Amino acid sequence: MKRNEVTNCLICNAPLNHQITWKSFLTNAFPKTICTECEQKFVPYENTSKEVISLYQYNDAMKDFLHRYKFMHDVMLAKVFRAQIHEQLSKTHATIVPIPLHPTKLKERSFAQVDELLKAAHIPYEHFLEKTMTDTQVGKTRQERLATPQFFKLIKNCKNKEIILVDDIYTTGVTINHAKNLLLHSGAKSVRAFTLIRG
Amino acid sequence: MKLLKSPFKWYKGIIIEPQIRDFFLGRIWIRTSTPFPQEKIETYLRFFKITPGISEKRGFFNRIIFRCNRCHNENQQEFVHYNCARCNQTCVYCRHCINMGRVTSCTDLITWNGPKPKFSRKHVLDWDGTFTEAQSKATKELTKIITRKNNHLVHAVCGAGKTEILFPAVLAALKKGLRVCIATPRTDVVLELFPRFQKVFANTIIHALYGNAPVQSGLAQLVIATTHQLYRFENAFDVVIVDEADAFPYTFDLALQRAVIKVKKQNSPIALVTATPSHQIHAQVKHEKWGYSFIPKRYHGHPLPVPEFQSLWSYEKQIQSGKIPRKLLNWTETRLNNNEPFLIFFPTIKLMEIAAPLFQQINENILSVHAEDADRKEKVLKLRNEEIPGLLTTTILERGITIKNVQVAVVGAESKIFTSSALIQISGRVGRNVDFPNGEIIFYHHGITTEMDEARNEIIRLNTEGFGDKKI
Repeated sequence: MKRNEVTNCLICNAPLNHQITWKSFLTNAFPKTICTECEQKFVPYENTSKEVISLYQYNDAMKDFLHRYKFMHDVMLAKVFRAQIHEQLSKTHATIVPIPLHPTKLKERSFAQVDELLKAAHIPYEHFLEKTMTDTQVGKTRQERLATPQFFKLIKNCKNKEIILVDDIYTTGVTINHAKNLLLHSGAKSVRAFTLIRG
Repeated sequence: MKLLKSPFKWYKGIIIEPQIRDFFLGRIWIRTSTPFPQEKIETYLRFFKITPGISEKRGFFNRIIFRCNRCHNENQQEFVHYNCARCNQTCVYCRHCINMGRVTSCTDLITWNGPKPKFSRKHVLDWDGTFTEAQSKATKELTKIITRKNNHLVHAVCGAGKTEILFPAVLAALKKGLRVCIATPRTDVVLELFPRFQKVFANTIIHALYGNAPVQSGLAQLVIATTHQLYRFENAFDVVIVDEADAFPYTFDLALQRAVIKVKKQNSPIALVTATPSHQIHAQVKHEKWGYSFIPKRYHGHPLPVPEFQSLWSYEKQIQSGKIPRKLLNWTETRLNNNEPFLIFFPTIKLMEIAAPLFQQINENILSVHAEDADRKEKVLKLRNEEIPGLLTTTILERGITIKNVQVAVVGAESKIFTSSALIQISGRVGRNVDFPNGEIIFYHHGITTEMDEARNEIIRLNTEGFGDKKI
């Protein structure tokens, strides 16, 4: 891993003063990518269930982050939470399955946001699903979201697998539930979920 | 486009919609994110020049050096490689100007290459003020650069009437059918200049461009923009005037300085206007033989108020323990008793936020502002309208604001953030009105720095330049 890959805070562009310590020399920890002030603006989420684990709450700082990452297409921001994601997902034996984008949407965005988060965190993953609906959940009311029919289809055999689904944000849970139902019906042993943000 | 010679031949060209031509003239834009429907852009494509978003050249040891063709950024740290799902290969994008929409190596940038409209030459200047001797000399010198195509620096003290000096020069350029740009690093300054220019140039189409500005129609001959917005132009202007050329981030950001050169046409002149030119600007003026106008006197003919140094030992500790230092408290109470509006500058937002409730115990109407404050404009307006007695602020209000009879204190003037130019600008807030040409400017400090000395010496020097050897 390059140590001096990021010299300025990825969010506010303030210079980061990397302190060279024995720990940074001897361990393989991820170097910091954002400054302490920006880091404090993200509020951790208190998890209540073990089924769906989320890291952060959706607040103004997170809104700006997500906007810049997903809609301004700043792929570099995938590195911001890599240490936290790595810590959560690196120890598990389960298969990591990211929630996919629709192929045309992927062409439009030019990158898959969940895949990039996992790649930045050095987590190996496998795609089991494909999205069949092109329109997004953004801009829909809660009722409309809950009423959407199944929009995933299986592309690989998942029999007797332990699976952790990964998505960037959990709002109403429709996306995660659809994916979960499909995988369980197709014979997966267990399905849990992990999201970066809880809306 | 060839003009029709005989009316009997079928003409097969397209008649260009003026909106599209007017919008793209001088602009550089991402092909897929224009404010027009995509089909229209594609039909007009032969009138556009297409350039790739990122170009590369070879440096030492054949190393690739990327350059963003929109913002001309060449800082390699700000270029990011990623796996592009659109092209199935590794693409590069520029993070420097990402807030205006991402430019990657696989995006196309379009510039207008079609027929160019002629600008109007009928302009009127509706302004009946008068100039002082120094001002009129500077205006003459500034007007000359339009024909001579020579760069120019106008060094005018705070409150010398810089905006008014621009009027005749801008008028002369507009009357020649030239396109003029007034750029400034601060949005506040754009918002202040725009209505003033609109008022005096009633016949001219003027656009104000800043982040999240509303879309304005027509072909603007005069553009007032933040320096960031210049990234979106290329080869567009015959005269570029940079106001407050020493303000952050213009002097620190090389890409912004390159942007000014990028937006002007070749051989077009640049004029810098500032109250505190940096050493760098002075050196450039000397080296490149720029023209130089100097106005050491304010428009009302009174000298600049000279800052007074007052010690305020361990002010930070006292404020943190919930007490306003006695000297500062006395000063504030005198201002409140005399009914004079006041500004107190703080070095950090943190310290200001601790101090704000303490000041509100004396008078609950005292407010505080900082850069991320959404109500910034309203709060300043409240102070101007005498609805509140005073404001606590960070360096954000150091330039561009004029409040009648304002008194100023700087707390912690020894802090790094208060450079000599910042301190001169802050001192320049005082005594700008003809009726109140004097006022108090006090630097409360925990030890005097060279920057403070430099600021005071510069103000004294300007006064002696403006008033001869007269003791002030």
